Amino acid sequence: MDDTVNTRFSAETALLGLKLLPGQEAALLEAYSALCEMVALVGSDYPMAAEPAHIFVPTDVGGRNR
Amino acid sequence: MTASNPCFLSIAEAAALIEAKKLSPVELTRAYLDRIERLNGTLHAYVRVLHDESLAAARVAEAEILAGKWRGPLHGIPIGLKDIYDTADIPTEGGSRSCLGRTPTADAETVRLLKEAGALVLGKLTTWEFAIGGTAFDTPFPPARNPWNTEHDPAGSSSGSGAAVAAGLCAMAMGSDTGGSIRWPAAWCGLAGLKPTYGRVSRAGIMPLSFSLDHAGPLCWTVEDAALVLQVLSRYDPSDPASTDRPVPDFRAALGGGDLRGVRLGIARTIFERDCVASDEMLAAFNSSVAMLRDLGAAVCDIELPPLALYNATAFLIARGEGFAIHAKALRERPQDYGALARDRLTIGAYVRASDMVQAMRRRLMLVEATNAAMRDVDAILLPTTPDPAPRLGELAPYFGSQRPTYMRPFNLTGQPALSLCNGFDKADLPLSLQIVSRAFDEATVLRIGHAYEKATPWRERRPIL
Repeated sequence: MDDTVNTRFSAETALLGLKLLPGQEAALLEAYSALCEMVALVGSDYPMAAEPAHIFVPTDVGGRNR
Repeated sequence: MTASNPCFLSIAEAAALIEAKKLSPVELTRAYLDRIERLNGTLHAYVRVLHDESLAAARVAEAEILAGKWRGPLHGIPIGLKDIYDTADIPTEGGSRSCLGRTPTADAETVRLLKEAGALVLGKLTTWEFAIGGTAFDTPFPPARNPWNTEHDPAGSSSGSGAAVAAGLCAMAMGSDTGGSIRWPAAWCGLAGLKPTYGRVSRAGIMPLSFSLDHAGPLCWTVEDAALVLQVLSRYDPSDPASTDRPVPDFRAALGGGDLRGVRLGIARTIFERDCVASDEMLAAFNSSVAMLRDLGAAVCDIELPPLALYNATAFLIARGEGFAIHAKALRERPQDYGALARDRLTIGAYVRASDMVQAMRRRLMLVEATNAAMRDVDAILLPTTPDPAPRLGELAPYFGSQRPTYMRPFNLTGQPALSLCNGFDKADLPLSLQIVSRAFDEATVLRIGHAYEKATPWRERRPIL
């Protein structure tokens, strides 16, 4: 695991205000490394108009989704 | 009203006997309770057995049936519920220290529907903590064990559901599936596990893990039983925002007689021969299954889906982001009340940025469209459920990304119906599995193909020896 991932993990943990329990940091760092790879794989270079998959649908008057 | 071996009857078989007044729901319930008493200390499938409550409900069912008021195929059938399904006045604890003693005041909508159909709840079943915690030894309840070999993992998160149905400790169990948690234990325990289309079955009253990926569905001994249960569960529920008001076909009638002529099947070969190569035994079983389906009349071709890693990464980001949103407050205030696996798997969601989440949701829509395009000329997709059979208990890697991926998450992301069923056994007598996936809201096709395969093969003749 390279230093960049370690550094980012420490910085983000502090920024998020997470108080990790003893032993949790090593486990989370491994998961964080995998997370970074997944973020890169999913990517961000989409056409501007590319829509997300929504779960929100406007409802009829007085109703929920149908 | 008697039967010689009632715990190994399918729902369809038991229902026929009950309707004909040849099998007593009270005797059937007692048989399951006796078997639970004998085996649960080994299998740890149940966290709570509702002995008196299930017998009382069985007496009511029996009286109704004897009076000529048979409600349908689930009337008098004993079932189990994963312990994330709310049950009125009965603790629902999600396998977590943080929820010990939590007692809902109302049944989950699915539980209400099952009871309305006459099903009898035998008890609450072991779950991975909050349906995410993995096979853990630091939670209030011991992990369930695989009935085919109790040294092996039954998979999860519906671990007790898989173990209980395979061992004959209930006729059917409800599970939930966010990344495969119905199909995975079905695969490793040799069952028919159905993840219905997203929106087909209400999740109201079920502890959420990921709002846009959670599905509720049954684990059964046979595909026919899954059809019977789905019939009862398929109802629009305004209390679940994802619930959809769609026509509900007659799933049992749609099973057909085993003739698959006119059905077009697409093999997603790149997923299990390129992206994550299935074991030799799994591949051999898969190829035999395809040959059988051809013999039954289906036309078969290869299709290419997007890379498995892309589906999985997209699903992972969404699942962890949504999961952390649900548990953030408790994780910050009482992290010690979670087992280590659930705590870590949920906490990592804190690191999913808002923009990562939106990109994942954009990618999700692209993957849905790509999957639909790949299915343009086929009615269903075939692939194994997992690359390998069940490992020994405790051998599963703790974190996603450090273990061989399964083949299930793509269809949580797309919301398509997916069925896992047993397609043989490996050299160690552990179950192998086949997955069938069709278009959204076309569960009937998945069930038809699965039922035809099951009827043409001998795999339902074998039960775990316990």
